Amino acid sequence: MASYDVNGTAVEHDEEGYITNLSDWSKDLAQVIADAENIQMTDEHWAVVNFLREYYDEYQIAPAVRVLIKAIKKSMGPDVGNNKYMYELFPYGPAKQACKIAGLPKPTGCV
Amino acid sequence: MTEAATTAVNTLLAQTDSDIASYLEACVHCGECAEACHFYQATKDPKHTPTYKLQPLVKAYKRHKAPLRGVLSILGLTPPEVTEDELREWEPLVYDSCTMCGRCTLVCPMGIDIAGTIRKMREGYAAAGIVPEGLTRARENVERTSSPMGVTAKALLAQVKRQKAETGLEIPVDQDGVDYLAIFSSHEIMASPEIIGGYAKIFKKAGVTWTLSTAAYEATNVGVQIGFGPLARDLVKRIVDEAERLGVKYVIAPECGHAYGAIRWAGPNLIGRPFKFEVIHIVELLDKLRREGKIPPGKKDSRKMTLHDPCQLIRRGGVLKEPRRLLSDSASNFVEMKGAGIANLCCGGGGGVSANERAEELRLKAFEQKLKQIDDIGDIETIVIPCANCRGVFEDGLDEYESDYEVIGLGELVAETLRED
Repeated sequence: MASYDVNGTAVEHDEEGYITNLSDWSKDLAQVIADAENIQMTDEHWAVVNFLREYYDEYQIAPAVRVLIKAIKKSMGPDVGNNKYMYELFPYGPAKQACKIAGLPKPTGCV
Repeated sequence: MTEAATTAVNTLLAQTDSDIASYLEACVHCGECAEACHFYQATKDPKHTPTYKLQPLVKAYKRHKAPLRGVLSILGLTPPEVTEDELREWEPLVYDSCTMCGRCTLVCPMGIDIAGTIRKMREGYAAAGIVPEGLTRARENVERTSSPMGVTAKALLAQVKRQKAETGLEIPVDQDGVDYLAIFSSHEIMASPEIIGGYAKIFKKAGVTWTLSTAAYEATNVGVQIGFGPLARDLVKRIVDEAERLGVKYVIAPECGHAYGAIRWAGPNLIGRPFKFEVIHIVELLDKLRREGKIPPGKKDSRKMTLHDPCQLIRRGGVLKEPRRLLSDSASNFVEMKGAGIANLCCGGGGGVSANERAEELRLKAFEQKLKQIDDIGDIETIVIPCANCRGVFEDGLDEYESDYEVIGLGELVAETLRED
């Protein structure tokens, strides 16, 4: 199985880059995943990643994009919780990329 | 034949009862169903003709089950065995290009339930494991938590706690001796939890006794979407067991199209007996309470609004007049779109399509026609949509086409416009 290299330690991930053992997560790992995703982490990125860590802690859910944006809008306001801004931060999908960097599973929508 | 093809064909044949056989015999290839299908309309590609999507089933039937197949095979007139490659080639037509909205069924001059036959066809696909990735992931979550998004009882209780704090109202959980058990879709619980507070407000006003349950809170049924009967049955049974244990008179189906059909129409057939309670859709219940004078409307919302017709609620479910009566009571500027009602166009994302990433481009293309219907009314501010899944599909589509209509639920509107004491 493929892995990320965090200061010499290997952290396993699945074929799409989501880590397989959620407790392996660290800020250093997040930085490594972000590099692999070509994302330059700023305070704004970290705010979303930290939000997702707390969200997962409370609900054990990796939120799909609609749910994520609504939850962020409620907690951080409409300037952050909107589609355009979130796609600017995470161009390949705010839910998918941010969940990956935050060490969450791949998000699933409703049916 | 590969193992997957054998499993699929055997399952397809097992699903082919006298109803399905008569449907397959009855098609006169008139093409009406193509014009009825939003995916055909959006692409004009004949492969999106609803009856064409059934071809693997038609072939298996003609080869193995149709009358006179023995004679026909001697003459070389039966089709060859269905192959795994063929099944895989058809998979996007069976899962991406059909929302089981039933518009084709409605127009078929021969009375063929094409949407219902696609549902049966998916049984063959699910048995063989030929299923889109998004639906497979949803199924894994359901098997773990009963919810396609992985909503646990703990997550539900966290949302309930917040709604209690926001509304200052009691939200009963696991309470017996009440008349109604409310269930929700995962999307409502996580994306619009305000509806839980909305129920609390409305039911308090109406004097209705109700509860949520930590054993049965999930209304969606991925078994129905994916086409896997045993799972569909287990998910229905979970709700039935809890409703009967609590002794409620009614289970309230939420603003989620397929969830209503799954428990109201398919439910008793799936578990093989009638329920000891009634299933009522929240829109039916709100309309009933309003007609009884228990939830009088207050000041009307003055925004210019229109109503989207969720297929499983309106066309397949028959709840046609109730949402319109409620909307007319709650909004002063409610305008219908052209084509509104029983034959309205699907949003493009029902039947599991919204959970299937591969279908995104096709879904957005189909949504363009929905958007045009609304643009054509002119100056609409708000679209009222009594289905959480349709709402998500609209939000995606509106973003894609940079349109700024607001999307709201009907229960939410009724709760907001209730007459204050």
